[in-house]
Amino acid sequence: MKRRDFFKTAAVVGVATVGSSAFGSDTTTRQPIDNRPISKINFPEKRPMITYSDRPPLLESPREVFSQTITPNDQFFVRWHLPEIPTKNDPDTYTISINGLVNKEYKITLKQLKEDFEQVEVTAVLQCGGNSRSAFQPTAGGIQWGSGAMGCARWKGVRLSDLLHRAGLKKDSEWIGFNGLDNAAYYQTPNFVRELHLSELDDHVIVAYEMNGEDLPYLNGYPVRLIIPGYYSDSWVKMLSNITVTDKYKSLFFMDVAYRVPDNETESETPDHKFKTTKPITTMNVKSVIGFPTNGEVVAYGSQLVVRGVAFDSGIGIKDVFVSVDGGKSWNTAILDDGKAGRYAYRGFRYSFKPETYGDVKIMAKAVDKLGNEQPLAEDIKWNHGGYKYNGIDVVTIKIV
Amino acid sequence: MKKLLLILAFCTAMFAQVTKAVEVPYISYEIKMGKGFDEVNANCLMCHSFGYITNQGPQSRAFWKGKVDKMITHFKAPIAKGDAEIIVNYLAKHYGNGK
Repeated sequence: MKRRDFFKTAAVVGVATVGSSAFGSDTTTRQPIDNRPISKINFPEKRPMITYSDRPPLLESPREVFSQTITPNDQFFVRWHLPEIPTKNDPDTYTISINGLVNKEYKITLKQLKEDFEQVEVTAVLQCGGNSRSAFQPTAGGIQWGSGAMGCARWKGVRLSDLLHRAGLKKDSEWIGFNGLDNAAYYQTPNFVRELHLSELDDHVIVAYEMNGEDLPYLNGYPVRLIIPGYYSDSWVKMLSNITVTDKYKSLFFMDVAYRVPDNETESETPDHKFKTTKPITTMNVKSVIGFPTNGEVVAYGSQLVVRGVAFDSGIGIKDVFVSVDGGKSWNTAILDDGKAGRYAYRGFRYSFKPETYGDVKIMAKAVDKLGNEQPLAEDIKWNHGGYKYNGIDVVTIKIV
Repeated sequence: MKKLLLILAFCTAMFAQVTKAVEVPYISYEIKMGKGFDEVNANCLMCHSFGYITNQGPQSRAFWKGKVDKMITHFKAPIAKGDAEIIVNYLAKHYGNGK
């Protein structure tokens, strides 16, 4: 089919969808857009990536990155909200300020962070709440990400609880606000401050200065960022500079309006009937992405093919990954890696098979967590206005010749 | 020797991977020309690239109006009332979904 013909067909389908939506508010979900071109221009400390915006920088990892359980720093996705990002942070003078409802406010340098506290490591998945947003139809609001707004790294730093302990929390302290050094173009624009309840901040939350054994890349928040294993990345504040303890929740744009889903059981709504109350997206649902092969890959008949990918959830733990090579009729158990990277990390999976037909073969992957939650088919995922939390079964189509 | 090693360890710890300011490249995103482009250029580009607009996908007029309103109300973008309307018309025409 020629490209032009494809668009003609697409237009017809489009009309059909519009037509049926007249009866109610039909929404459909499909596979996220894949195989977007990689930019020819590379950003600092990054290889060329899928580039949605230069200001603020929005970079997506290509699919093949997900055949590895650790995402290389130079292919790790990037998402900023505000346009003014410091391009130079001096590690000798950089400080994080801890203040508010504490017995002793203080500032801490990087050196103190590295020397005065117990150093801890956690391997954890960082995923944008809007990852795979392009799956939602009608188009949900926001950048139309494919499935590469996620990555997994080994983070090293200091427990947030240790930092707070040194300051000493006062009796009424309940909320912790986190702010980074990124700024808006206008002074009046609200800062990208995240506010989390103390009960959400356990010992797994760290202030990290190292990513896969190296300094964080600038675009991933050099020199320090917040790591909240199991949570979507909107709260993993980059270039963390200020931690404020309060007794009351402050009303903030980035908490009250952005990164929220309908507050109902299915977390869904329709474009015509948006659900009135919303809640923050918080913890990640079970998901897997195939890293190899990629869509359109041509494979010789009779060759042994090893499908590879990654699975993860909010830390419940992956029990199984199933792979189908017959369009979902039968599902085969994939081999999982040893899981030693911990419950917040990618669980690598692989499934080896010999294609027995010529032509298109559809490879699907479905992860199941230890509580029995499993990924739904793309078309069974219900719509929400922000296009958040997509976790449909991944499908890759290859050609056997 | 031990002392030297300690000093070395310390230096390594504080040695930044990047010592000079990084430079984020400028990308010229393709954007449709037409009535309203000047207003878009003057008001939107201050905070974000054209890529940020075009990568939202085709959207309804209501969506684009909501976005422009959000920029004014929440992000405090100083967009004049007349300009806001022109911008919404432009976005609905060139990046709309017909609704």
